[in-house]
Amino acid sequence: MKRNMAKLLWLLMFFSDIVPFSCEKSMRERAIELMQDARLIDGHNDFALQLRILYQNRLSRVNLRELNLTHTNLVKLQAGYVGAQFWSVYVLCSAQNKDAVRLTLEQIDVVKRMCNSYEELELVMTSQGDSRRIACLIGIEGGHSIDSSLATLRMYYDLGVRYMTLTHSCNTPWSESSSKGMHNFYPSVTGLTAFGQEVVKEMNRLGMLIDLSHTSHSTVKAALNISKAPVIFSHSSAFSVCNHSRNVPDDILQELKRNKGIIMVTFNADVLACGRKVVNISTLADHFDHIKEIAGSESIGIGGDYDGVERFPEGLEDVSKYPSLIEELLRRGWNETELKGVLRENFLRVFREVENEGMLTPANQFNSCHGIGLLFKRLLPWPDQ
Amino acid sequence: MPGRSVWVLLVVLALALPSTGQQYLEEAERIMSSTPVIDGHNDLPWQLLNKFNNQLRLPEANLTVLNDTHTNIPKLRQGHVGAQFWSVYVPCETQNKDAVKRTLEQMDVVQRMCDLYPETFSCVTDPDGIELAFRSGKVASLMGVEGGHSIDSSLGVLRTLYRLGARYMTLTHSCNTPWADNWLVDTNDEKPVHHGLSPFGKIVVQEMNRLGMIVDLAHVSVDTMKAVLNISRAPIIFSHSSAYGICPHRRNVPDDVLRLVNSTGSLVMVNFYNNYVTCSNKAKLSDVADHMDYVKKVAGAKAVGFGGDYDGVTGLPTGLEDVSKYPALVAELLARNWTEEEVKGALAENLLRVFRQVERVKTDLQNTAPYESPIALEELEGSCRTNYGYSTDAGTAQRPSAALALALVLAPLLSVLY
Repeated sequence: MKRNMAKLLWLLMFFSDIVPFSCEKSMRERAIELMQDARLIDGHNDFALQLRILYQNRLSRVNLRELNLTHTNLVKLQAGYVGAQFWSVYVLCSAQNKDAVRLTLEQIDVVKRMCNSYEELELVMTSQGDSRRIACLIGIEGGHSIDSSLATLRMYYDLGVRYMTLTHSCNTPWSESSSKGMHNFYPSVTGLTAFGQEVVKEMNRLGMLIDLSHTSHSTVKAALNISKAPVIFSHSSAFSVCNHSRNVPDDILQELKRNKGIIMVTFNADVLACGRKVVNISTLADHFDHIKEIAGSESIGIGGDYDGVERFPEGLEDVSKYPSLIEELLRRGWNETELKGVLRENFLRVFREVENEGMLTPANQFNSCHGIGLLFKRLLPWPDQ
Repeated sequence: MPGRSVWVLLVVLALALPSTGQQYLEEAERIMSSTPVIDGHNDLPWQLLNKFNNQLRLPEANLTVLNDTHTNIPKLRQGHVGAQFWSVYVPCETQNKDAVKRTLEQMDVVQRMCDLYPETFSCVTDPDGIELAFRSGKVASLMGVEGGHSIDSSLGVLRTLYRLGARYMTLTHSCNTPWADNWLVDTNDEKPVHHGLSPFGKIVVQEMNRLGMIVDLAHVSVDTMKAVLNISRAPIIFSHSSAYGICPHRRNVPDDVLRLVNSTGSLVMVNFYNNYVTCSNKAKLSDVADHMDYVKKVAGAKAVGFGGDYDGVTGLPTGLEDVSKYPALVAELLARNWTEEEVKGALAENLLRVFRQVERVKTDLQNTAPYESPIALEELEGSCRTNYGYSTDAGTAQRPSAALALALVLAPLLSVLY
């Protein structure tokens, strides 16, 4: 009897080892299968900034497939099942009122050259099309890049820019950032000024996505009030889970749901864990769970912020690790439809809606709101005299 | 009596001459209805900025009725203008400040002009586009950047301006860039700095060849003209310059350069501004024709074009007061025994030839990598600039410590990028 019991016990232990093991394996497999079918559209990656800092945008000096100084390289993107990436053409706030426009054009240039030089990449500007290559899209990070010029905004759109984050960590003359005290620009600006509202309207008219990451809560509310199209947060997480100024509070999440917009949850460990030492996939998944509860899974996407920050959760150290996040969400009971939404369908919905809005609105007249043009008339001669 | 027959002859001639003139004009109109003029340079966008701050929808900015500029839509039609390079000029005062942004704003106004008047203008970017516009009876609209200061010494900016549709760049306006000298250094007003092109200036020209952007040498110094004509792999243009041999103004092209224009298959698009035509503030249509004859003589009929500089100057010859007057000038050329082929060349074919050759060179160079070295920081002036992203071996400078300093500065800054 005792020997049978011992055998039974032994068998139970044996099986209890195997059974969870095969469940885990199939979760991983399920995650991979899911991502093969629905490759990720990631909302924000600062690799272009690294190209500038490390190589002064000299692509001839670097092999983007194998480069191992950065979170991003082409091999890792493929391993992470990334199907489309918004490359940020961020320039520092200290260039505001100086050479921000030139620097932004240089970053746009390096992204285009990068996407033209590698057959794994393909520059795209619309929500249409489905290729096996990794689609390259371009996002501007910070309204200082337009130097308060709607014409410059339009030219960026022509160049393929498809979102603009209204501020980075500095106020512009027309919009307020969530960062306080980092820079001293335009300290009295709150939310959006009248010109800021014109910027948002022009973005609607063009069909450019309005990105509210990095902006203050007043700016978010003002933008949600005026925008006729859904908006995005290209790389932010949940304020309720970690009350960092870069994150989105519940009341705004609810407005976002009404707006049918999307929050592309970000992986920056500092905004996920509010100082807790252990930051892992579970920490990140808590944000996903919370946002799903408040705003529904159709409001969620992914914006890793790789190569833009230093600290990432354990298990998510670089752009090849996205499947681990999907695996964890599967484990938490997210179903495939919800996950396909998070991976790409939710974003595509928003992008199409924004494009449609861009085509419907008749062309309106927007002038550059600076009187400097009139000053020229008084001071300067004809071009060839 | 001999006296009377002389009188009769004179009367007959007096009656016949206007009809000959009329014949030439009719002939000009006939030729131009299938070969309209491609003009190299018009500053209407500058007028739109000055008068309306680029607000095209103001009632007074209506291009169909605007009447205090040289250019409006009815006049373009009357003048048989088939294609126009619109200048997206911004003043030299913007150099090292907001030149890039202001250039984008001028490019935007041209594009909005095309959007607002789609039955008249067709914004295009290549020779086929021009010919398509000819066939559909629209004014093919292209953009020329007027002055290297618009790129703020950045090849990335040059490339993006090309992507936005700019198809020529005048290397300087009336100011030196950090990499090229302008025409004023050939006068007593300024001293040469680069004696043509600096090493970075040569790279700019090479990158323009690679991109397929036409190099324009109006406004540059003679040394710059020669340097470019020596290194450019594609033919070049003078978008709005005339002949120094007739009027020795330094905006004009001297004979030795005209000979280089000939040997490189390049093009001089003659400027109508009185001061460059007669070196005085008065001129007439036949004076402009003299320049065209002169360029034809020294550089060949294939090197002649039209670059009126309308709306960029205030003093224009009698007979050429605005953009409706091109046929009268063509009539004068016909009266001077220009063949129809030569006239068509000057009107359009020469420019199309140059443009196609520029594109051929672009194809030849398609496997060449884009130029990536930035200009050395110390070659730049002005305080409206950050040296963000620069490190040691920028261009021709060697400053090893800068790289380390930069890395140390930027590394902590990365932490703010969330």
